[in-house]
Amino acid sequence: MQYSPALIDHFRNPRNAGIMRSPDGVGEGEYKECMDLVRFHLRVRAGEVVEARFQAYGCGPTIAAASAATELATGRTLEALLELPAAHVEAAVGGLPEPRRHAAEVAALGLRTAARDALSRLETRSGRHA
Amino acid sequence: MNRRVYLDHNASTPVYPEVVEAMLPYFGERFGNPSSVHGFGQEAREGLETAREQIAHFLRAGKEEIVFTSGGTESDNLAIKGVALGRGRGHLITSRIEHHAVLRAVESLEGLGFEATYLDVDGDGLVDPEAVQRAVRSDTVLISVMHANSEIGTIQPVREIGAIARARGIPFHVDGVQTFGKVPIDLDACNIDLLSFSGHKIYGPKGVAGLYIRKGTRMVSVQHGGEHERRRRAGTENVAGIVGLGRAVQMRSRDMAGEAARLTGLRDRLWEGIRTRVPDVRLSGHPTRRLPGTCNICFRDVESESIVLGLDLKGVAVSAGSACTSGNVEPSYVLVAMGVPVAWSMGAVRHSLGRSTTAEDIDYVVEATVPLVAKLRSAVPGRV
Repeated sequence: MQYSPALIDHFRNPRNAGIMRSPDGVGEGEYKECMDLVRFHLRVRAGEVVEARFQAYGCGPTIAAASAATELATGRTLEALLELPAAHVEAAVGGLPEPRRHAAEVAALGLRTAARDALSRLETRSGRHA
Repeated sequence: MNRRVYLDHNASTPVYPEVVEAMLPYFGERFGNPSSVHGFGQEAREGLETAREQIAHFLRAGKEEIVFTSGGTESDNLAIKGVALGRGRGHLITSRIEHHAVLRAVESLEGLGFEATYLDVDGDGLVDPEAVQRAVRSDTVLISVMHANSEIGTIQPVREIGAIARARGIPFHVDGVQTFGKVPIDLDACNIDLLSFSGHKIYGPKGVAGLYIRKGTRMVSVQHGGEHERRRRAGTENVAGIVGLGRAVQMRSRDMAGEAARLTGLRDRLWEGIRTRVPDVRLSGHPTRRLPGTCNICFRDVESESIVLGLDLKGVAVSAGSACTSGNVEPSYVLVAMGVPVAWSMGAVRHSLGRSTTAEDIDYVVEATVPLVAKLRSAVPGRV
């Protein structure tokens, strides 16, 4: 299977791997057919992601896609992340061979879920303060 | 520049230089069709028959008992379908961990009305000869059990199974693709009636293989055409490839015994190196009754393809036990049959050693594996 230099770089030097203390949002993407599981932790300030970290179980492309997704998330608003298409993650790893497309899907799904979780926590907090 | 270490010899092997040398004239001056009566054809025929003699000698079989094919898959298909279709209907016995060439061939016969028993294996991947005995029916037409499994290397009790087959008068096919030229095979002591073997697993060329068919075995051909190979396999023979296979077999008879002992030591060095430095690993396959160069290790909670990719980036070629081919990954059916839990089997990596493997290679692979697995595990999320 041929992988892009960007994918290999993310696999070899994953960005933002690991967990986060007291995250503002947590979300998972799971691809049961492949048993892939990606989890994101987000730190949010003023509705914008300032830090994202990932954990991943899966093949090399899944780990690379999760790493690239944390870079995509940083600096984006939660609303923007809710709409994040898998194609953006795929582009960030320089494309994926057809049998590995799910790597981008599982990463994008995980990020969207984390963004939704962060938004819902924000709403709960603002509701409590109202 | 990384060191390059090839530990995928069960998939394919580099061709012996002596084999290449033996093959070359058959692409040029000895290019004739071995079925032709003229001098060009007879030169090719001579190469073909010399190779047949070399292989027959190696197996202590008769020349007329060797049929050349295009690969191990064709040999398995010819053996299984040839015998079964010759009987018309009946029952076949095989194991759950056979190569797909055997399993699919048997399944295709089920589609034609044959019945089949797929034998279970134990935790080491062994077929129980008593289970074979119990599975035999009055209409059993063939027993097909592999000599050694390519993934785990476990060597089956073919002698005991062969004795059962012979006592019941049932033809016994052995897929010997992974053992031929690596460990001794005694056709008579094991009562083997049909043996599949291949070229590219033993430092010969790809696209050439063979089937030993014991004299008197009743079977029909499954590929129809000319009168080649004593009417058992139609099609002009791959003369250069066959010459290469014959030469490879000669080389194996020289190298096999010494190499088996050397590779067993290296194989065990690899396992010890990993076992003592990486937590949560297990060896799949029989601890001792195993191919000399095969070491299948399961890394718990790591996905095998990520290990294969990580090692490839370090110049190391190994093979994944679970393969994600079209967005759907399943653990190896061999490991499933052995009862290996999914958390382990998803992280199965097969290392298969060969002629070029050195102790330094093994140490390099261990050194590359230890931090890689630690790094991959450090990012694994717990499942709720």
